[in-house]
Amino acid sequence: MRRRRGSAAAGDAAVIESSWREPEQFAVLFDRHAPHIHRYLARRTGRQVADDLVAETFLAAFAKRDRYDLGHADARPWLYGIATNLVHQHRRDEARQYRISQAAAAEPEVPGHADRVAADVTAQAMRTLLNAALAALPDGDRDVLLLIAWEQLTYQEVSRALAIPVGTVRSRLHRARTKTRQILAGTGAAATYEEITSNE
Amino acid sequence: MNEMELLRELAQETPLPEPAELDAARARLVAAITTDPAAGRPGAAPEVTVLQPSASTAQPAEPPRPPAPAPVRDAAKLMYGGAAGTVVQLIILLFYVGDIKAYHLTLGAHPLTTAQLVHLRPLIATLAIAFGLVLIALWLWLARAAGQGKNWARILSTVLFGLATLQLIGLHTAGQVFWAMLTWLAGLAAVWQLWRPASSAYFKSAKALRSRPPSQISGP
Repeated sequence: MRRRRGSAAAGDAAVIESSWREPEQFAVLFDRHAPHIHRYLARRTGRQVADDLVAETFLAAFAKRDRYDLGHADARPWLYGIATNLVHQHRRDEARQYRISQAAAAEPEVPGHADRVAADVTAQAMRTLLNAALAALPDGDRDVLLLIAWEQLTYQEVSRALAIPVGTVRSRLHRARTKTRQILAGTGAAATYEEITSNE
Repeated sequence: MNEMELLRELAQETPLPEPAELDAARARLVAAITTDPAAGRPGAAPEVTVLQPSASTAQPAEPPRPPAPAPVRDAAKLMYGGAAGTVVQLIILLFYVGDIKAYHLTLGAHPLTTAQLVHLRPLIATLAIAFGLVLIALWLWLARAAGQGKNWARILSTVLFGLATLQLIGLHTAGQVFWAMLTWLAGLAAVWQLWRPASSAYFKSAKALRSRPPSQISGP
């Protein structure tokens, strides 16, 4: 049975299917997902690069829409997979973005109450370390970690996005989390941060 | 608070983009959609604008173009920079022509005499100015055409860049070498930007858009 085309109620698969005959329908997919894909790209590469990459993501998706598996109603994993591949082509931009985030996190906040200032300083230190940890992760591990932590994808969705088995998703996530924890714990800042945030 | 929660907290620092921030990306997608072979068939979305002839020329108006991606915009800027560098080179060259010594120039195997040089100097200066102006015009023309998605512009730019590499041979003064190298590097960077994947996609879609009949081109 054919589903309604292009309406907000229709799933992404129906939109993509109708775009095979009516390419204009593909714009519905853009309107639905572009803001979140842009934010994901901006987090990883910075806003300026994201402006271009979000366009390239949807252009690539449009070009290969005829190969989309209509068994998947939600196209987000597919789009995140394309976006992630594009991020890999901009490794230098991504590395720069983490450096910028580290530098921004290192800037002191406005002065205030001593405890508050101490908490802010520790939180900033944590952000610096987090960005350093992200920069230090292998690409594949970072992809899995960020798609799950930032974009809230499930293991199955990440598996689809990156075209890897679910078992590999689990092992990469485990490795990425362990390494991130090690980097955070290595300075002793994590414990301090937990103390401060748990007292708030 | 574990590392996943910390990461989510970090992510919250990046807000969703404003709708206007996505306009350029959407326009590029719409441009690709309009060039798709399936677009414009019966049953397709009927947002079709027939282009009206321009009042002054009675020619069909230029079809709408997708916005140029960043690499093409950067390439155009570099080419405008190349034009500016050529202006500086031309000025240096004119100083050099004024200061040139007879033994620098030869006619066949024989150095020119001072008298011959004095006679030829206006001609050399005129040729230098004409050549420089042609080069500047080329830079500007190709920058504009490349920015408009004309594929021949990037091909011609690449060919001319290859020829410009030969121009580096035979420079005399340090100033000439410095500015020529700077201009050459601008050309190299521009050519590289023009052949990046995003640029290729833009040139391809712009070409397809131009080749479609006006009645099939959607309005902006």
